[in-house]
Amino acid sequence: MIGVGKMKLYSNVLDRPLSKGKQEVSLSAFAFLFSEMVQYNQTQVDNIAELERRLEDAGYAVGARVLELLCHREKGNRRETRLLGILSFVHSTVWKVLFGKVADSLEKGTEHEDEYMISEKELLVNRFISIPKDMGTFNCGAFVAGIVRGVLDNAGFPAVVTAHFVPVEGQQRPRTTILIKFAEEVLRREARLG
Amino acid sequence: MIVCVAAVGQQNNPLYIQSFTEADDALKLHHIVHCSLDVVDERVNNPKKSGPTLNETFLGMLYPTENYKVYGYLTNTKVKFILVTTDLDVRDADVRNFFSRFHAAYVDAVSNPFHVPGKKITSRIFADRVRNIVKSFGLSSTG
Repeated sequence: MIGVGKMKLYSNVLDRPLSKGKQEVSLSAFAFLFSEMVQYNQTQVDNIAELERRLEDAGYAVGARVLELLCHREKGNRRETRLLGILSFVHSTVWKVLFGKVADSLEKGTEHEDEYMISEKELLVNRFISIPKDMGTFNCGAFVAGIVRGVLDNAGFPAVVTAHFVPVEGQQRPRTTILIKFAEEVLRREARLG
Repeated sequence: MIVCVAAVGQQNNPLYIQSFTEADDALKLHHIVHCSLDVVDERVNNPKKSGPTLNETFLGMLYPTENYKVYGYLTNTKVKFILVTTDLDVRDADVRNFFSRFHAAYVDAVSNPFHVPGKKITSRIFADRVRNIVKSFGLSSTG
């Protein structure tokens, strides 16, 4: 049949339908918004621990919603019940959706059974941020730690998640590591499932 | 005919419950939804070896009462969707389709930054979307 599926040619460029657009947001827009968020929280708190907690809480809300959204969009649509399953989900799918690439590495902690680490050479949120010396060990990656905590908590794996700088020789800027420490009940359940 | 849809949170707190009949037995429908939560928990904690795998989201028909059938759906965040219907010949594909559209509306409602997770969904747009989905479900299964 001739003519089936032929695209309509618009004579006037104003009549063309709007394109769907890229699924991405510009990095500078996000960096600007994030810097404003950090500055706003800085004026509201007295110490660094409180600032980190606020960033983490902001990330928690994002994580909860990202989990719902991804579960719905994923064609496979399976609920993660195993520890390794949810960790690899965070490491690849969540990172891909949020930052456009999978995380650099996922490691299991050596000292404790319940510790896992996701490392990234340069966290996207930290790219345009430098911490002044008097702030000590503060890391704006607390926002990303909050996102991970939101995803894990709402999937049924309560955990304590923190972000740390790990200095690497040969590199000017230190590597960022997200440390995940699972709660007791998660390990007990995992042991029971075999 | 769908008589009732409900979304129930992780701690079995109601997030959204809406009945679509004119009759006054809304309380009875709430009660049916409440009983079906027990069935969902039972399915999740004791999986049948030959039944669907542990991680499926769609739970299928939960249990039939005198003239209602109850279907369940579990999301990744332990939020349960319950559907109560009076149709006798509902196709599986229709129910799955209904749940996936309901899930899409739910995700959009929860993505609202002003929505507090755990509280009831008060968005009017969400209620309208659910009403449309329910209306089109009725048409597709009878037509």
